[in-house]
Amino acid sequence: MITDQLMSLPPSPTVFVVDDDAAIRKAVSRLLRSAGIAVTVFESPREFLAQYDPNTPGCLVLDLAMPGFNGLQLQTVLGERGSILPIIFLSGHGDVSKSVQAMKGGAFDFLTKPVNAKNLLPAIRAAIERGAVARREQAELSEIRARLDTLTPREREVLEHVATGKLNKQVAGDLGITEATVKMHRARVIAKMKVQSVAELARLTERCGIRGTNSLKSAA
Amino acid sequence: MSWITVFWSINLGACLTLAAFYCAVWCKQRQTWAHLLFSCSAVAAAAISAFELGMMNAQTVEQYQTLVRWVHVPTWVLTVSFVAFVRLYLRAGRRWLAWSIYGLRTLVLALNFIFPVSINFRAITDIRHFSCAGEMVSVPVGIPNPWGLLSQVSLLLLLIFSVDATISVWRRGDRRRALLVGGSMIFGAILAWHVPLVIWGVIEVPFFLGFTYTAVVAAMGYELSSDMARGARLAHELELSDKRLSLAADSADLGLWEWDLSKDEIWVSPTRRAQLGFPVSGKITFEDLISRWHPDDRDKVRQALRDAIKNGKDYDAEFRRVLSDGSVGWVAARGRVQVNKQGNPIRLLGVSMDITGRKLAALEAARQRHDLAHLARVSALGELSSSLAHELTHPITAILSNAQAAQRFLDADEVDLNEVREILNDIVTEDQRAGEVIHRLRGLLKKGEPQTHCDDVDLNEVIGDVLKLMRSDLINQNVTVDTNLAQNLPTVAGDRVQLQQVLLNLMLNACEALSNHNSSERQLLIASKSENGEVRVSVADRGGGIPEGKREQVFDRFFTTKKEGMGLGLSICRTIINAHKGEIWATNNSDRGATFHFSLPIVRSDALSTVPSEVLDGSVLTTTEVSVTRVTAPSVLLGSAATGSEAEELWVSASTALLERKQ
Repeated sequence: MITDQLMSLPPSPTVFVVDDDAAIRKAVSRLLRSAGIAVTVFESPREFLAQYDPNTPGCLVLDLAMPGFNGLQLQTVLGERGSILPIIFLSGHGDVSKSVQAMKGGAFDFLTKPVNAKNLLPAIRAAIERGAVARREQAELSEIRARLDTLTPREREVLEHVATGKLNKQVAGDLGITEATVKMHRARVIAKMKVQSVAELARLTERCGIRGTNSLKSAA
Repeated sequence: MSWITVFWSINLGACLTLAAFYCAVWCKQRQTWAHLLFSCSAVAAAAISAFELGMMNAQTVEQYQTLVRWVHVPTWVLTVSFVAFVRLYLRAGRRWLAWSIYGLRTLVLALNFIFPVSINFRAITDIRHFSCAGEMVSVPVGIPNPWGLLSQVSLLLLLIFSVDATISVWRRGDRRRALLVGGSMIFGAILAWHVPLVIWGVIEVPFFLGFTYTAVVAAMGYELSSDMARGARLAHELELSDKRLSLAADSADLGLWEWDLSKDEIWVSPTRRAQLGFPVSGKITFEDLISRWHPDDRDKVRQALRDAIKNGKDYDAEFRRVLSDGSVGWVAARGRVQVNKQGNPIRLLGVSMDITGRKLAALEAARQRHDLAHLARVSALGELSSSLAHELTHPITAILSNAQAAQRFLDADEVDLNEVREILNDIVTEDQRAGEVIHRLRGLLKKGEPQTHCDDVDLNEVIGDVLKLMRSDLINQNVTVDTNLAQNLPTVAGDRVQLQQVLLNLMLNACEALSNHNSSERQLLIASKSENGEVRVSVADRGGGIPEGKREQVFDRFFTTKKEGMGLGLSICRTIINAHKGEIWATNNSDRGATFHFSLPIVRSDALSTVPSEVLDGSVLTTTEVSVTRVTAPSVLLGSAATGSEAEELWVSASTALLERKQ
């Protein structure tokens, strides 16, 4: 198995190719190497699951029809595990129902064999890019969530109200506390969330899916 | 002229006529020596009559002496002829007696000419005349020669010989002949005793030896003539029978032939002779005849005839002949070798039959079956078409990616030629792989001509071929296939494509049976084994099985359980397997699912001269309607616990393999 995983930290993006056909594995990996893309090949979805490190960025080039455990099943398993690895399906058939299923399952792209480099390489690059973005977003999100976790319950309440654009007075009224107390909490929240302004705070909470009292409650 | 002269002359003339007649017969049929002997004896009898007539009319002693001396010559001829005739014609009489008579008679003849007068008389002193039947006849008066006894002894031996021969002919059952020939000889031999009595002067009659012998000659003549009459009757019957045979042969369009090996001359019945374009008469040699056969079949015919002649077996061949108008017909010929006493072949007798109509019908039937099989094959492949396309996309995908990778490598500043070389090698390999897929497909798709020869087919290879063909389809349908193939499986003789078709059909059916089951249960097991001179292939599924009572019906034409099915697949499988002299049958497994089996005899293709003959003779046409006893036999794979141990074993090993894979 060719692996670029250990080369550097943070790991460089790798394309994982899962196909039961050895000749296709070899040819596709060659094509990707010619484009300067790191490749790791797997004979079966099982092998991939056993060896895949979710921390490695990149994308998955997945054969649809394989004996036993097929591509769609692998997609489902990865989805269940919360994987954000973009998947490009390669299929021999122009099987409509399966392609719909794959796209509904969140596939990045669905290409038919024989696949042209003109289609495959841009798709892979785009998938890697998308993977990187997603990874970044995920990292940011987890950072924001970590910061949110440092807030006290009262601070969170204040945050929710402030994020919806309410004035301090309104917040104080809603929460039954003094306006000064609200101001103090808000200053703490801004410090803990490492933002400069209330507007920035609102953007962060929006990205976390905190829209207001109800949504926060449901998120909590 | 008196009565005596008249009688003796008539006797003489009658004997000469008979002699002349049978001499003529002998001249035409030289191998019938009995006719010559008869002729000689008749001449001798005539001569004796002439001598007797002379003696009766002799006027001087000298005259009489000369006649008495020379009459021994015809007597010798007559005696020897008689004895030889009995030995040859009646196949009776003791050899030593015969030779004693020849010897003694010859001795008598020699002594007769040594003595001054004759062996009968030392001297004839006078001639006495007396009247007899109105004529004066002469009898000798003289001194008898004691050596004349030898003549009497020979007469006695002749009597004994005649009695002995008569008895043996009588015992043999040929009583009429014994009575006539033997009786007349005994009668003659007894009457001949008047001669010594006259010589010794005991009685006074003229010699009438000629008459006694004439009686014998007449009896012999009667026998010979009745033989000839019988021969003529037989010839007539033979001719009739020959005509009947010709009529029967012509009506049945049979040709009769006979090949004389020593002369290399072939007789062919007239109708067939005309059909073959030979003139009405004239010699036909083997090469003439074989020139009428189709050039491609001549060596086969020669070989079959050589075998027949060499091993004494019956000759049996089917071949094509070219008629005088250039058209080609089929002939079936059978023949039997005739050998001589030494056991060497001398002749080949046989019959030939025009089977063109039958052959054409069979060929037409074979063609229709071939077309139908092709149709079924194409439709089976149709079910696989998308999978087959997938099978091709694999190598094409690899080729495209490899080629585009190579293009990119070549665009780089530093070209890694080794890499490019490796890529090109891989492209070639993949191209071959695509070619094989196409080749396999083409083999099954092409119609071609009904095959006229067999290949040595390894059924394990056939299984491998079909598995490759169905690979994508099996993946698509989530069916797992386990194989349990015997190693070093003997080959069978047959048509590889047709056998692939059978297996393909069985596997498609099995997959169909699994389609309503969970993917974890979609298992097939293919097994091959060789036993009892045959190779058996089994396809077992874990589907719903065959409803009881329909296990035989599934092979019927137009029987189907599929919505879209035509009900031809299994009936064509059976036709194909039967044409290969094999059997195909179905059983339900003891737990679940069904197993289809087919078995083929282990034969090398060179042991068969053509494709299984049923393919050509059309008998296969009806075989789908004939029940196969094998199906009802209890010894079926995956059958009841008592008989299905090998089946259980099969499944156990398969399940173990499955489990291992899952772990």
